[in-house]
Amino acid sequence: MSNESRRSFLQIASACLGGLLSLAAGIPLIGFAISPAWKKGESQWVDLGLVDRLKDSRFKKVNFTFTAKDGWVKATKKRSVYVTDLGNGEWSVFSRTCSHLGCLVRWDENKESFLCPCHGAVFDKDGAVVEGPPPEPLQKLEVKVEAGVLYVKEA
Amino acid sequence: MKQFLNERLPLDGVMSHLRKPLPKHINLLFSLGSLAMFLLLLQAATGAFLALSYSPSPEHAHNAVQYISNEVPFGKFVRGLHHWGASAMVIIVFLHLLRVVLYGSYKKPRELTWVVGVFLLLVVLGFGFTGYLLPWDEKAYWATVVGVEIASTAPVLGDFVAKVLRGGSEIGAVTLSRFYALHTIWLPWLAFGLVGVHLFLVRYYGSSGTTKNTPEDMKTGKPFFPDQVFEDVVGMLILFVILACAALFVPVPLEDVADPTNADYDPRPEWYFLFLFQLLKYFQGPFEILGTFVIPTLGMLLLLFLPFLDRKEREVLWKRPIALTVTSVCVIGIVGLTILGAKSPKLETQNITPTENGTQQGSPTDQAEEEDVFDFQLTEEELETEDDVFDFQLTEEELQ
Repeated sequence: MSNESRRSFLQIASACLGGLLSLAAGIPLIGFAISPAWKKGESQWVDLGLVDRLKDSRFKKVNFTFTAKDGWVKATKKRSVYVTDLGNGEWSVFSRTCSHLGCLVRWDENKESFLCPCHGAVFDKDGAVVEGPPPEPLQKLEVKVEAGVLYVKEA
Repeated sequence: MKQFLNERLPLDGVMSHLRKPLPKHINLLFSLGSLAMFLLLLQAATGAFLALSYSPSPEHAHNAVQYISNEVPFGKFVRGLHHWGASAMVIIVFLHLLRVVLYGSYKKPRELTWVVGVFLLLVVLGFGFTGYLLPWDEKAYWATVVGVEIASTAPVLGDFVAKVLRGGSEIGAVTLSRFYALHTIWLPWLAFGLVGVHLFLVRYYGSSGTTKNTPEDMKTGKPFFPDQVFEDVVGMLILFVILACAALFVPVPLEDVADPTNADYDPRPEWYFLFLFQLLKYFQGPFEILGTFVIPTLGMLLLLFLPFLDRKEREVLWKRPIALTVTSVCVIGIVGLTILGAKSPKLETQNITPTENGTQQGSPTDQAEEEDVFDFQLTEEELETEDDVFDFQLTEEELQ
């Protein structure tokens, strides 16, 4: 084997071994960093309170807390929704998270609209976009009533 | 001692390299790069000391920042230097970039110096974005919510990137920990690596000087050391005095602790992201992605590939009509959007509060004070009465 072909072999072998080393170390490291993207969030039913206390045909802002795992912490999470009693056991519960970029919307009774303080989005009382940048309506949350208590499905 | 070092280190070679003459025509604008490097070092130093008293967890972060500001000796000053230093960094890096555009210094053979510089600009913005979550106050929380949501609108990988940034589906303990690691370990390593390459290229090709320099002028100016270094150090001193005054006399804001249910908070980003905040308002419905992804990405790509698009002879900016137009539009656009974003009015909602007799009173409100907020969740006691809980374990006496 000539010196030149020996050196070319060593050059290629070094590159291959280096690549192998990078893969062996890199795959678990990258997996470690991006693993949260594969984890699916668990939804759970959270109570908003007794139905009798919530009965109102206007939108009520209701704050609630629930326990959820946040990495290594079992954290108490705070959330806020708008609730209205549609009558006949029907409820409408809207997430306050603007479907544009996640700011919290506010209900304006006079304008009968949900307004976003960030980029000027306006949603009507059914959550549909009236004005501004959001590409989707406000998220309507799944609800159920059990034993006189209103539950909302928190994702 | 000098001889001992000379025999073991190539000091003479380094010194003769540093004494090489600069181009004849050079001005104060050529100190902006040195000022940017000084600010990077100042941020690294102040950040390293702030980290001694900081804890990256939602339970402790806000208190830690309060502790630094109110109880740690010189804490307010060090935090002030770090805070105002971040703003100064964005300004100086932006001006440095404009200087390079002004004199066409990115042209052959300095294209790679420019490309590395654009990556450094991204790193500086990354420092800003990851840094202001750390105090865990309202601004920190909501600006990060919006920032990560912007990332999530990118096609194909958007949702994935947002989840990786957050460390899950929402902002919490893992997000704060990740942003802290990015801000204090990942980005500094990247920044110093890129600065190393940038400086090597700057020294290798030499300063570009102004466009007045003839080929003979390129090697007949003052030496870099000590002449230019002295001017740079004076500039650093002036900059430090300004930052020190800001740190001493302008309070660094710290809002209330982050609250994901706060009804009356109007989220606004730091001033250097206000242009993007304002831009997002103009693209509605299906065109949202133009503001969140297409325009910022195209802008960055234009910046990155500028030396390969503008390949004509090197001239000062006003002799390059296309470059002058594009630069003017970009600068006026960014400054204009920033001013509009800063003037963006806070949201006032009209709320009607119920009264005991059932009539309704309408009044413009500051929501926090007058809007009814209900919290009807069942207490633990109420929950316990609903479900019988039994505990039939034997007591120690019964066991005996």
